[in-house]
Amino acid sequence: MAADDDGDVFEITDFTTASEWERFISRVEEILHEWKLISCLCKGPAIKGAYANGVWEEKTEELSFADFKFSLIHIWLKAKDEKREKSAEKESGDDEENDDREVTPTVYGDLMDMENDFPSRAHCLCRWYGLQDFVILTPANNSDAVLGESKIKLLLSSVNIALTDAGCCVPMFVQAHQKWRRLYQGTCVLPSANIEFGMVQLKRTPPQYNHLAGLLDVFKAKMGSVADPRPPVSVAVRFLYELCDWVNSPWSQPLPDFDDEVGCKGFDQLPFGACEDPVCSLSLYCTWPCLSEDMIVENHVYSDLDPLQAPHWSVRIQMTEDPLCLLGEYLSTFLALCHRKETLEQLLSGFGTEMREDSTGDISNALQRLTEPTVGYNLHVPTLTSYVSQPQKPTRKSKDAPIQGELLDQILQFLFPDSVKPSDNSSTETEENTSTVQQPSHPVKELPKQLKSAPVNGLLHKLAVCLCVLNQNNGGFMAVVQIWQEFILEMRYRWEHNYLIEGIEPGPPNLGSCLLQQKLQMLNCCIEHKRKRETLHKGYTGVPESPPSSPYRGPSTSQLSRSLSHNEAENVDQSDALNPIAENDQASGSQSESVAENSNQTNDSKTKKGPGSQKIGSSGESSDEEFFECNDSDGDQLGEKDEDTSERNQTEESMLEGAEDTENQSGDENEAEIDENQSETEMECEPVNISQTGSLAGSMTGSEIQEMVGTDARHSISNTSVLSDSAYKDSFSHKPEGRLALFQDLKLINCDERMYIPVTQEPAPMTEDMLEEHAEVLAKLGTSAEGAELRARMQSACLLSDMESFKAANPGCVLEDFVRWYSPRDWIEETIQDENGVKTEGHLSQRMQIPGNMWVEVWQTARPVPARKQKRLFDDTKEAEKVLHFLSSLNLSDIVVHLMPMLIHAALLKAMDNDDPSINVLKQVIEQACLKASQVTRSPQQDAKRYEELIRIIMQAEIIIARNLSLRSKFTTDLLEREDAQQELEHFVVTILQNSEVPVRGGPMGPAGSVISKLFQSAQRASYMILDEEESDERMDDDEESRLNSSVPNFPRPLAREYILRTFVPRPAPYSKQLPQRMFCSIEEDDFRIAGAFTSDSVFQ
Amino acid sequence: MADPDILTTLKILIIGESGVGKSSLLLRFTDDTFDPEQAATIGVDFKVKTLTVDGNKAKLAIWDTAGQERFRTLTPSYYRGAQGVILVYDVCSKSSFNKLDAWLNELETFSTKHDLIKMLVGNKIDQAKREVTKEDGLKFARKHQMLFIEASAKTKEGVQCAFEELVEKIIQTPGLWETDGKRGTVSMNDQGAGASACGGYCII
Repeated sequence: MAADDDGDVFEITDFTTASEWERFISRVEEILHEWKLISCLCKGPAIKGAYANGVWEEKTEELSFADFKFSLIHIWLKAKDEKREKSAEKESGDDEENDDREVTPTVYGDLMDMENDFPSRAHCLCRWYGLQDFVILTPANNSDAVLGESKIKLLLSSVNIALTDAGCCVPMFVQAHQKWRRLYQGTCVLPSANIEFGMVQLKRTPPQYNHLAGLLDVFKAKMGSVADPRPPVSVAVRFLYELCDWVNSPWSQPLPDFDDEVGCKGFDQLPFGACEDPVCSLSLYCTWPCLSEDMIVENHVYSDLDPLQAPHWSVRIQMTEDPLCLLGEYLSTFLALCHRKETLEQLLSGFGTEMREDSTGDISNALQRLTEPTVGYNLHVPTLTSYVSQPQKPTRKSKDAPIQGELLDQILQFLFPDSVKPSDNSSTETEENTSTVQQPSHPVKELPKQLKSAPVNGLLHKLAVCLCVLNQNNGGFMAVVQIWQEFILEMRYRWEHNYLIEGIEPGPPNLGSCLLQQKLQMLNCCIEHKRKRETLHKGYTGVPESPPSSPYRGPSTSQLSRSLSHNEAENVDQSDALNPIAENDQASGSQSESVAENSNQTNDSKTKKGPGSQKIGSSGESSDEEFFECNDSDGDQLGEKDEDTSERNQTEESMLEGAEDTENQSGDENEAEIDENQSETEMECEPVNISQTGSLAGSMTGSEIQEMVGTDARHSISNTSVLSDSAYKDSFSHKPEGRLALFQDLKLINCDERMYIPVTQEPAPMTEDMLEEHAEVLAKLGTSAEGAELRARMQSACLLSDMESFKAANPGCVLEDFVRWYSPRDWIEETIQDENGVKTEGHLSQRMQIPGNMWVEVWQTARPVPARKQKRLFDDTKEAEKVLHFLSSLNLSDIVVHLMPMLIHAALLKAMDNDDPSINVLKQVIEQACLKASQVTRSPQQDAKRYEELIRIIMQAEIIIARNLSLRSKFTTDLLEREDAQQELEHFVVTILQNSEVPVRGGPMGPAGSVISKLFQSAQRASYMILDEEESDERMDDDEESRLNSSVPNFPRPLAREYILRTFVPRPAPYSKQLPQRMFCSIEEDDFRIAGAFTSDSVFQ
Repeated sequence: MADPDILTTLKILIIGESGVGKSSLLLRFTDDTFDPEQAATIGVDFKVKTLTVDGNKAKLAIWDTAGQERFRTLTPSYYRGAQGVILVYDVCSKSSFNKLDAWLNELETFSTKHDLIKMLVGNKIDQAKREVTKEDGLKFARKHQMLFIEASAKTKEGVQCAFEELVEKIIQTPGLWETDGKRGTVSMNDQGAGASACGGYCII
């Protein structure tokens, strides 16, 4: 530019006046340069199947012509990497050869390549022209359209100029008319030729072109009559037949049982499967891949193209979109309850407000129900249910309660099978029920251990499944709320009456299971603990040693016991879990301390009196007995043998030891305990909010405060000097108590007694949330020395308890003895050889000798108290109340989320039951679901969103299974002629399930092919209203004949036909080079399209 | 508290027989001091230290446990969620070495993360009366796929290194410490894609 200064002016002018058109062309060129499409790199024809299975890439650039926005899109098939590498390797060697040879441009190869005709999925231009690399110019806005011949011509010319200027060999298309018409005009500029891509699209097929003959005429006319003799046109044809009527196998999914009468079936199992046929239709593609025009005739009167003669068949299955699947539907509906924000009480009051007013009347209603004649005769009416469900929850007794009567009984029996009276209950119906309860035994498969749920077929599993099903079938969330209430009441009942909860793993909370399961395990621990405690201390009441094994309360048919149960029920109602706050307010708030104490004791006595009063009740005494021991003096009278609560226990201890402790002290302690009680009740009614409380001590949970207060109190009592005399005497002055076993053959150091291992208290079981809370409290104490000290002190309760037990079991023992048992490595023995011979001498380790260390300190504090008389480390009453409060304070959404792990577990099992190992995709999906499930159930934040994702995966599995079932029922082996082909058919079903388009092995002659033709036949016959039975037998024998003879065609009219015509012809003049010509045509019901690519020599024309 | 530089908070456990020097190791690591009169731990103790490994800042919450048999019914509760564990024995005490199997068993039972990193530390190598050779320790560590180092809380030898090594290993282990990584999802769409792919011609 700098060189010719004279031309400057002209060039400047040139640019400023450049028309929109020129600017557009240069922009297209620019983009082509950007995309590096200018070098005419030639790719070989794509390998077979690459169009359908390969990776297609796409690049888009925006540009505009005047103010009309276009997008330029480059679409190309990504070459396989390995292929590219290979070619790169070869390149060095091949380079010279390549230079001499004239390379065929990619487009030529694409147009004539027969390997990739009719790809199962590809861009339409690829489908029509066989191209693997092309550029499209299309209006940027979907609503815009290039209308009018001149505009299209203008764009085409622009594109042509741009391609020529850039030297780009990639064909470029301009989309004309509305986008949905998919009408493209294109051009391709090659070094010595041009290709013109033209297209016709019509709504109705002109009759003269409705067959191959007509299309060949069009094609030949386009060629012109230049060459003679004309080389034959090669023809590829594909017909599509669609099968929508599955005459032989209508879809039948056993619908969930909505009928209440049938028993438990309705609510103990998650349903599975699709409600509608997940397989919609079958498309059969019959392909004649490469024919010469001479070999085949198709005109308006005759056709050689019989689908049964087609050499190649392939099949595509159209699946129903989002079929309604039961399992997924149930799960998502249940999970959707999460979005309800109401508390349980609000929901309950929804049908309970007016009922509350006349609750007494309601109770009498309930009683009436009990005395209804049927009850009199049917001893089998589950008494637990009538007891638990009726009088306690008057609100639920309204007509609005979604689950009533028999069904409710059945559900409760299903959940708590042990509540049915065992032996003498000979009613047939009950037996039926219990048997159905046991029936659904999942084949327990090994689910990944990581799933954090609860044991299969355990209580929570049943509950989750039951609630999920009820939510769907029996009244939505109200049913869920109702059964949950029943569940809570049953839990409370069991706690108060010392019946273990069935269907829960025994032992301390298993941290590998879900929180709800841990809570129930905790409750069971409490119940067991309480039972032990009561059998230990209450032998005098005549309660049998082993607690009742079944929580059956005896028949409640007589008036007396019924009134008893009524009273008891009211009694329970007072402390109903629904209202703990109110109750506790009452206890700790307005009333005086002593009253508070009283009410607490009332609770206690009530609780512990459970089995005893039951016995009394059944032996016919007045039910007033229930309330007999309510005041302090009563408690004290019974105290001697009735030491079951820690509070009273302590009081007693201090009293028994009155010789040392002054009256004042014990009084103080009493007061302190009252305070403790209060704080305890407060702690129960509202979970400690750690973030709110600033101070160190304030951030502790009730139990810790209690522990600390306890130790501190002891401190004040104890003497401070190391191993003081009084403490020493103290340890001598009692009889040994609470011995478990001899400890090896060790003897106490200071006397000749043998050392005994004491009976010790078990450390308190903890659920994971308690642990977390506890750990957080410990961590909150910080890392300072004081923090560590405080932490040790907080945890010394266990040590103290063990020391006290040890002292009680070994009168006269010293810390050294204790250490030898408890921490043997802190007892250092040395063999000393002196004049008297070899002698072993031991002493405490250095760290145990540090004056004032915690061990020494606690040892001094410890008094000889056997484990059973100690302050309980594990306060079962409190922990049980905590659990019950936890349960009753859950919102509906909490309940759903807490039950989700079990539900997912059950759903996965269900899916695995229906697993088909031959289907890879299914295996993958199920594995994915399991993995996801383990992640979701284990994550500390239980999140409904993530459960939704999980359910979606499970639904996928369900759909695949349903499809598989459906396909199997459609391609049954009954239709096979040869038995041995069964495997082949199964293979076909499996592949068709996992791939979009599947070739039929052996075409129409293969086993799958013959089944498909039969399906078409029967569908045809059905549509022509011909009864199948008459002829079927004969038809089986000589299929061929009957097909020829039958007036009904075996196949319907093809839904669509595609033809590809190809030839090499010199164009435009006879002396031009022979160049590839191609015409594609598709004929459908309401769409006729001809897409031609005609090459003409640009040199010899 | 919320230091933006901190990559993650790791929970680390120290377990082993009583008196093998667990608390001393921890004290050496966190405060770089040694107290010959270190009192026997009651229950569990807890210390925090921020450590930089390979440019990653990690906050360590280290739980020190009591080794006494009786406490063992209590302390496993704190195993929950630990990403790393330091199993300590006393090289001067064969019995503390022999008990390692029991400790590993317990770990297996109570830890919630199954791929947690385990490190074996032979403590008190400053003392003369060695009863467990380094080879024994190495053998045990190899058998149970653990990291191994010998150390002395008293002389400082190996302590810092032990913790650093452990943390590095934890950070290198994918899925152990990240908060909920979303792992590979199998796409099920190859099937549906056929219908929605551009230009399905006869499938209209």
